[in-house]
Amino acid sequence: MNGVLSCLFWLAIGVVLAFITLPLAVVVAASLSPSSTVTFLPWDWTLEWFGALLSDRWLQPFLLSFRIATVVAAISGVLGILAAYAIVYEKIPGSALIMAGLLSPLSVPQIVKGVAIVLFLSIIGLQGILGTPALIAAHVVLALPFVTRMAATSLTNFDGNLDRAAQSLGATKRQRLQHIVLPMIKPGVLSGVTFAFIISFNNIPLSVFLVRPGDTTLPIAVINYLEYSLDPVMAAVNVASMIFILTVIFLFEKIGGFSTQLHGGSK
Amino acid sequence: MSTIALTAPAAMPPAPAKTSGYLVLAPSCLVLTVFFALPMGTTIGMSFTDGETLAPTLAHYQRFFSDGLSLAGLYRTTVMSILVAVCVTVFGYPVAYYLARSRSRWRAVVFALALAPELAGVVLRTYGWLIILEDRGFINDALLNLGIIASPLPLSKNLFAVVVGLTHVILPFGILSLTTSIQGIDPNLERAAQMLGASRLSVLRHIVLPLSVPGIVSSLLISFTMAASAYATPALLGGARFKVLATMIYEQVLFYIDWRFAAVMAIALLLMMLTVSFLGIRYETRRSNRRTNSEGVFS
Repeated sequence: MNGVLSCLFWLAIGVVLAFITLPLAVVVAASLSPSSTVTFLPWDWTLEWFGALLSDRWLQPFLLSFRIATVVAAISGVLGILAAYAIVYEKIPGSALIMAGLLSPLSVPQIVKGVAIVLFLSIIGLQGILGTPALIAAHVVLALPFVTRMAATSLTNFDGNLDRAAQSLGATKRQRLQHIVLPMIKPGVLSGVTFAFIISFNNIPLSVFLVRPGDTTLPIAVINYLEYSLDPVMAAVNVASMIFILTVIFLFEKIGGFSTQLHGGSK
Repeated sequence: MSTIALTAPAAMPPAPAKTSGYLVLAPSCLVLTVFFALPMGTTIGMSFTDGETLAPTLAHYQRFFSDGLSLAGLYRTTVMSILVAVCVTVFGYPVAYYLARSRSRWRAVVFALALAPELAGVVLRTYGWLIILEDRGFINDALLNLGIIASPLPLSKNLFAVVVGLTHVILPFGILSLTTSIQGIDPNLERAAQMLGASRLSVLRHIVLPLSVPGIVSSLLISFTMAASAYATPALLGGARFKVLATMIYEQVLFYIDWRFAAVMAIALLLMMLTVSFLGIRYETRRSNRRTNSEGVFS
């Protein structure tokens, strides 16, 4: 009886892990497969599909997504630090209510936020900002609650005695913020900023309403293309974009060392 | 964006701390007001007004409940989300149990395999399923070549494909929430039961499963809300043949250009999500009330 159960247990884990890795393996295989129908032949592979990525068709959307994600990460990083500073460090009156307000966008599905923004801009006659400006604003709305929450968690967890010690030794507020508070919350903020970059770079449900012809982000360009064709160039685009995201995470990890933060259990 | 630079903490005068506290909040509040609160208000307002005269009306809601298409969309969304929630929780449970209890060195490998796909993005994973499930995809190709079937099985552009794709997207979140919950169960309870002669099956049935009910509930709720609000996976794997609320909202805005009806559908989706979250919060408060009561009895 026990043997049967543990066999089933291991079988279940194996099946689930296979289920999780299967589509990823298929896409990687497709991106290396030489024929235009997707095949799995490990001895026969090519990198020619990746060459197609250097055309304007894919480079333009990639650069747009990259620019938008960078600006979104920077803006939501700064705004998130400021908001967390006011709420946690200055403890302004009504901070619990303000925090709830700042986190409220989290309870609204992205597709609803997206349609609300496009309806609002159309009603007030600002369709002109559709494209890059609207994409940046919408992605900031999406990312800001996450960044604020991560910055607030770091500020809450940070040892206030360090700050008090510096104060009693005569450090000015500016010196304390610059030399104690900011370095202490840096890992939390950097993981928030990395997260903001990734959710902006990968976003579909908001972007789908806000892109303009000629101003299309990479994921939207990919899903538009997928409606017509499943050719291996798509696989190459997807693999390249995954490698790009992993590189971004690796670089931020090098700068900020936030994996210690993640293992520390703060969310 | 010059306001941000002006209100940066380093440049703050030390004396009026409270005012400066509100001042540094201003940019966040401004962004969220203009690009979240006002749009949400406008959407709600639009759903209750007539497109020509702007007079208040319930006509768009009446249309939602009388035209069969919208209700069918709501029904498909619900069925799909329930199936995804159940699949995620059932498939996620064994992996979560292993992650919570194992001390082997393979644990890190399983952990990475279970969670790494989250970094790959939704499009890549959905594209993988498209290649696998399509009419000329892997499964149909293989079955046709082996002569098991004469014509392709309908594996894509339907409920099945969307549930498979969404389960794959949401599984890591379910696994995380179940793992946390199972880690909270004292392993000594399982050891004690085993020492007293309980079989693995009855330990699972009478100890582990009942004690992890809160984790199961939260996994079901998280998966349901994530599935109901997903857009990209239903759009690609369901297509025009399997429409859910999220993809129907998109159609209303970009193809039919019927903004007020899109607003009604968006509000329907939002209400569905809020109801489910509310049920979750109520369950959680009841449980913690019960726990404090029973702790009072025992201590």
